[in-house]
Amino acid sequence: MSTSLIWWGIVIYIVISLYIAYISREEQQKNMAGYFLGNRKMNGFVSALSYSATTYSAFMMVGLAGLTYRGGVGAFGFEIIYFMGVTLVAFFGPRFWLVGKKYGYVTPSEMLGDRYDNKKVATIISLSSCLFLIPYSAVQLAGVGYLLEGMTDGEISFTTGAIIATILAIVFTYFAGIRSVMWTDSLQALMMIISSTIVVLLLVNGLGGFGKFFGTLSTEHPKSLVVPGNGYFSFTTFLSLTIPWIFFSISNPQVSQRMYMPASLKSLRRMVLGFLVFGLIYTIVSVMWGYSAIMLFPGLDNPDVATPNLLSSDLIPPVLGVIVMVSIMAAAISTIDSILLTLSSLFARDVYGGTGKRSNEEKQLKVGKFIIPVIAILAYAFAQLQLNLIAVLSVAASSGLIVSVPAIIGAFFWRRGTAAGVISSVSIGGLLVIILEITKFKPFGLGSGVWGLVSAIILFITVSLVTKAPEQKANEFLEYVRTAMQKHTKSA
Amino acid sequence: RLMSKKELLWGGLCICLILLAYIIPFTILKNITFWYGSFLLWIILALLIIGINYILVKDWRD
Repeated sequence: MSTSLIWWGIVIYIVISLYIAYISREEQQKNMAGYFLGNRKMNGFVSALSYSATTYSAFMMVGLAGLTYRGGVGAFGFEIIYFMGVTLVAFFGPRFWLVGKKYGYVTPSEMLGDRYDNKKVATIISLSSCLFLIPYSAVQLAGVGYLLEGMTDGEISFTTGAIIATILAIVFTYFAGIRSVMWTDSLQALMMIISSTIVVLLLVNGLGGFGKFFGTLSTEHPKSLVVPGNGYFSFTTFLSLTIPWIFFSISNPQVSQRMYMPASLKSLRRMVLGFLVFGLIYTIVSVMWGYSAIMLFPGLDNPDVATPNLLSSDLIPPVLGVIVMVSIMAAAISTIDSILLTLSSLFARDVYGGTGKRSNEEKQLKVGKFIIPVIAILAYAFAQLQLNLIAVLSVAASSGLIVSVPAIIGAFFWRRGTAAGVISSVSIGGLLVIILEITKFKPFGLGSGVWGLVSAIILFITVSLVTKAPEQKANEFLEYVRTAMQKHTKSA
Repeated sequence: RLMSKKELLWGGLCICLILLAYIIPFTILKNITFWYGSFLLWIILALLIIGINYILVKDWRD
């Protein structure tokens, strides 16, 4: 695979993406809901593809494939457990959508701040999201850098790759806010699913078809088809990896904010079902990709190089290899730009808007637009520096964000929840996760996400029970949700 | 007073399926080194989850 072919692939991808971003512009976006939520008018098909591209990053074809290479079928189980957790959208989706429309919420943390009648709740949850998601974005940027450097034997440097990804993420975000992000996401999602499916079908065919493929795995690598397999996926490891991801769809603001955006509940329904179909196909494809690497390149010291090795193999035509490589790059960028947009909306709405200054919609939008490149450059700097703490925070991202789950569930199902309960559970729970990640301490063999969730639940309930709940707001909020759900669902 | 009976029923079933996804591969299927072991089980559970989601969302109306 020549470097010039890779450059051509990247240039064609950039030109098509920029064109899509350009034509996605509508009228000037003058308020927060317009720029960050597409005026709550996004259609179901685009919402489904964009949700998929935002959720599935470069981790799938590189990280999950590497995890399959290292630990076998347990990697598939890990991803399927996450997939099963997306059912939470069927419960929280209509509730988020209904209260978002009624109260004009732009961010999930703004919703929690209003529900618990305390702006500090919104500010603390927003800052917590920034703390974990900026390092996570940095690792995605680094992933693009490593991928391009690895595929071209250093002819395209790590820095060049990371800069390309950073600039594209800023441009996709800036063009028209969420509209350009969602339309370019849709293009990238289609690239991801089509190219990866074709390349895996080619690989399986090259290895003798499905029967022979699994037959070879059974005879030559039998441990790759069971858990704990070679011992990598012990039950405690499996539990520690999966628990934070079950709640991903409500704990990560870059995806939970998507529940405000569809034009109608019908569009939200299409988003949920479309994502589930996409997710199952992409998960199976990514795991089969990892299995192919086990058979073609057994004994690799670093499982993360399984994907570059596969892309360079004789079984894959060079042009298709470049398309898959660009689609992996697109998967990373489509995740980064969504995180960028969400974090800037959190900062503008909940941190700047929560300072008590007279901040109207126009000022918040200006701050939001200003902060987009600031966060992107920060993520790029972290990617370049490759600090240990950044790696720790990135790994801890899903665990660190899980501490907001009790507050989110409580907002809709527990009248006694209080702002003090939320603030203590999010701040102390988040701190516990960081300490456990830094010290690499795993009580009873369980990871930081499990302990973060347990501590957050205990703190949220106990602190709420000894402090005064905002009864009037809680009753009004919950009563609206109850009556609206009855109206919008047949059997509620 | 906040979840419908339908949500409670299908939500409960979902939790049961998630528990099965944790328990069966580490017990009954831990020696089945073929594609029709844990790999197939997780695919079946994922398809059941899609079915449950369809049931949960099909009645949403504007």
